[in-house]
This record gives sequence, structure tokens and C-alpha cells, in this order.
Amino acid sequence: MRSRIIFCLMLLAPMAHSVIEPETVGRTELKKPTPSWFIVKSSSGPAYLYDGADGEMLGLLSLTDWTPAVEPNVRRGEIYAAETYYSRGIRGERTDVVTVYDLKTLTPVAEIKVPNKIAALVPFRHYIGLLDDARHLAVFNLTPAQSVTIVDVRDRQFVGEISTPGCALIMPSPDRSFLMMCGDGSLQLIRLDRRGAEVARVRSDVFFSVEKDPIFDRPVKTDGGWSLVSFDGNVFDVSVEDDTINVSESWSILDKDKEEMAGWRIGGSQVMTLHRGTGLLYTLMHKGKKDTHDDAGTEIWVYDKQAKRRIGRIELKDPVRMLYVSQEDKPTLIVGTQAGKIQMFEGRALKLIRTIDQPGAYPGLLQGF
Amino acid sequence: MNIVSRAFDWIDHSTSQSSRVLARRTSRRSLLGRLGTMLVGMSALPLLPVARSLGAERVAEIGDPQSCDYWRYCALGGFLCTCCGGSVNACPPGAEPSPITWVGTCRNPVDDKDYLISYNDCCGKSTCGRCFCHRSEGDKPVYMPSKANDILWCFGTESHTYHCTVAVVMGEATNG
Repeated sequence: MRSRIIFCLMLLAPMAHSVIEPETVGRTELKKPTPSWFIVKSSSGPAYLYDGADGEMLGLLSLTDWTPAVEPNVRRGEIYAAETYYSRGIRGERTDVVTVYDLKTLTPVAEIKVPNKIAALVPFRHYIGLLDDARHLAVFNLTPAQSVTIVDVRDRQFVGEISTPGCALIMPSPDRSFLMMCGDGSLQLIRLDRRGAEVARVRSDVFFSVEKDPIFDRPVKTDGGWSLVSFDGNVFDVSVEDDTINVSESWSILDKDKEEMAGWRIGGSQVMTLHRGTGLLYTLMHKGKKDTHDDAGTEIWVYDKQAKRRIGRIELKDPVRMLYVSQEDKPTLIVGTQAGKIQMFEGRALKLIRTIDQPGAYPGLLQGF
Repeated sequence: MNIVSRAFDWIDHSTSQSSRVLARRTSRRSLLGRLGTMLVGMSALPLLPVARSLGAERVAEIGDPQSCDYWRYCALGGFLCTCCGGSVNACPPGAEPSPITWVGTCRNPVDDKDYLISYNDCCGKSTCGRCFCHRSEGDKPVYMPSKANDILWCFGTESHTYHCTVAVVMGEATNG
């Protein structure tokens, strides 16, 4: 009897196996980006896409070692990267291109050849900027002569090169224009026409000293323009109206009347970030002397930008190099630690939400969409 | 024959004699070579914005060139060539030194003097990845490229890929 039961079970076994449907390998496509998405750009090479809502990785953009940042264009469903390639990897013929990546698949869909002059910097957000027509892309060149390449991403073509001696960075501004920071302590505005040719060039008055108190080359976007901060912690707001560059009076993030603020400095790699909806301004702080502007922060200070007053601070267990705040209604403050981890804080309560222990190789820059 | 004519005769004779002696001792090629060397040397002098001593003394110094604390590295950002097969002033095998550089002013602890240091990137090979060093004394933002250490300075080389950085003493820094 027992042997019969075993025999019957043996007959049933292949039947049970056959009801499982074999899996197939599929391909994932991304949905439309949300304000909780952010990018962790590696110090050299790829960019990792994350959703801050759950801390999960969404995908990866393969980039060259000489791509300091990328520029998303959500309206067209694309991401742009100005890249340098060598025909033999690290040697051979050089070819500079703006690569157009599809935002759904993160694969290249077009290449636009540009002059072999793209600035090869360490991760650096503002060497590339999409102008407000969502059609013209400006790329910073350094040979070490400074210039800007203009690309038409709609028609997929190189438009021209604009010489910008003494000035660097791309800060997109209204009506197809962009601001640049200049070595004489001023700002320069360049405006393009509909075809991408330069039609106006304006210089502001000199308003800071590069030798005594330089402005960080890490501007922060505001509703009306840009916020700049100096090595000594002086904040300037700049905006463009027609062909006039407006520079505000500065205010200091370090209140001289408060003894507890003495000895503190702003520093790091991404030193300041702003949540535009609430006006919360976050700065990366450490105790240090002059010339420590690259040092990692041991605290994050939070300001009410409108009131120009500090309203909070976070004591950090791990020193931090990078700051980025999402532009969601409820902001999430995302930081990159010196040890290469990503941490997320609730932007108002300043509580740690989660840590990404392995965000990808050598995080060098945080940016949003 | 007046005294002026005699003087001209003497000059003609002397010049003629000297030229013959010079022609016997030197070939034209060697003369051009020496002249060329002299001209190149003269043209190079004004390019160096430092106080140069005519002697060939080496700077007296202490410290470990494989350590980021070494005095010459006060404004260096990158990988130390001393850890990558090169030296403090020579690129590793196969790497090409960039002729265009950023500069820093560092104080030598031995004589307590400031020296102008040229940070030449060595190029054309993969990033070395050893002995990363980042110091920012006198470092300026990217819009001041000559003093910015955030830039990869592989300009004017066959390949612009970055390998490592050397720190070359250019001379004693002068005020102003």
C-alpha cells in the first residue's frame, strides 16, 4: 500500500512543476520625473538616479570621466551631458559632444558635435545650463581660455561659440540669457536671440573682491534669480531685469553679536541650498580658519532667508561635503557625507529619515530635476 | 693719412683677424646652435614671474613628499605623483607633463620663506588613484583659473586625461 502511495506522488510531481509559468527578462522604463527625484553624480563617470520618496535607485546614466554634471529637460523628456571621448579610451583622437539621453530609458538618442573645448572639471553643477526657452543649451569651455558653446537641442545642432574672457559658469536667466561670474569681482550677462546668437552683453559693477573675500562658484537658484555666498559667509541676491543686472546688499550668515557663531565658516563642495517654496536656506558649516573653504561641514545651519535669521541647526555625526534640498512641498534635505554615503533629513523637522549606504562609486555632486 | 683713417685701418685689421680665428675654432652649425641656445634662454627668462637666483642652489626642505602635509602641497588638489612612480617634480613613466599650470604660494618650514609652486598635472594615462591630496591655501574659484585647483590642468598635452600632479618650486615668491 505504502509503495502505491509513493508511486502516485511520483506521478503527480511533474504535473505540479508544469503549472509554474517561466519568467521572461523585461526592460524597465521610467515614469515622468517628480520633484522627489535626484541625481548622485559620481566624481568620475556615471550618474545615479534616485527617488527621495523611498531612497530607491531608479537607474544609471553612463557618462565619461570628464562629465562634471548633467542638465535635465523635463519638458522634452531628455537629459543632456557635455562629454569628451577619446578614440582609444584615455588616448587617441578627442571628440567632444553634447549627448542627448532619453529620460525614460536613460539611453543616448542623439549626439551633437561641439568644439573640443569642454571644461574638464571635477563635479561641477554650473558648467552647463539650459536656457528658459528649453531649446538652447550653454556649455562652459576652458582651454584655459574661457568661452561658451551654444547648442540647439531642438534642431540637434551646434549654434556657435561665444568668447567670454575672464568669466566662467552658466546661470540661466530670463529671456534667453545667462549670467557668468568674472575674475574682476563682477557678473556678466549674455543674451541670445531666437537662433542662439549673442545679441547683448552687459557687465555689473564690481561688487566683491576675489582676493579678500571671493564668491563661491556654487550659486543657488532663487525664484527671481540667483543667491551667491562668499567665503566669509556674505550672501548676495542677483537678478536680471531687461539688460540690467541687479545685485542686492549683502547680509552675513554669521551674526557678529552672537559669540557662539565665532570661529565658524561655510565650506565644503556644495555649500548652500535653498527651498524656494518656504525660503529655508541651508548652509554647511565647520570651525576653521581662512582657506578652509573646501573643508567638510560638521553642522548644517538653517535660515529663514526672508528674515535673514538662523532658525535651526543639525549636528552631524558624519562630516558632510554636499547639500541639496528637494523642491517638494515638504522639503527633503539630502546630503553627501565625506565617507561617501547619502543621508536624507526631513527639511523642516531636521530629523534623519534614511541613509543610503551604497549610493554608487564616489559621489561628487547632488542635483535635482 | 689722418688719425681717423688709421683708426679705421686698425679696426678693419683686428676684426678680420678675430673673424679668422673664430672661423678656425668654430663651425657655423655650432655657432648657430650656441646663438640659438642663448636666444631661447633669454626668451624664457621673462616668462617666469619669480625672483630667480643665478646660482643653481636647491631648496633646503624637510618632510615626506608622499604625504599631503608636505609643504609644497599647500594648494594642491589631486593625486600625488610621488605615489604613482614619479617624483615631486617628475611625471611617472609614460605620463606627459602639462605645460600650463595653476600656481600656489607655499611657506617652506626650513627657511620660513614663501616659494612660488607650479602644480603641473601629468597627463595621458588613467587616473592614478593613489595618495589623494586636497589642500586649499590661496585656492580661488573657477572664474580665477590660474589659482583654482578644481580644474584638470591637462592643457597643451597630447591627451587631456589626468593622471597625477607634481609640485615644482619655481623660485622665491616676491611681494607684489
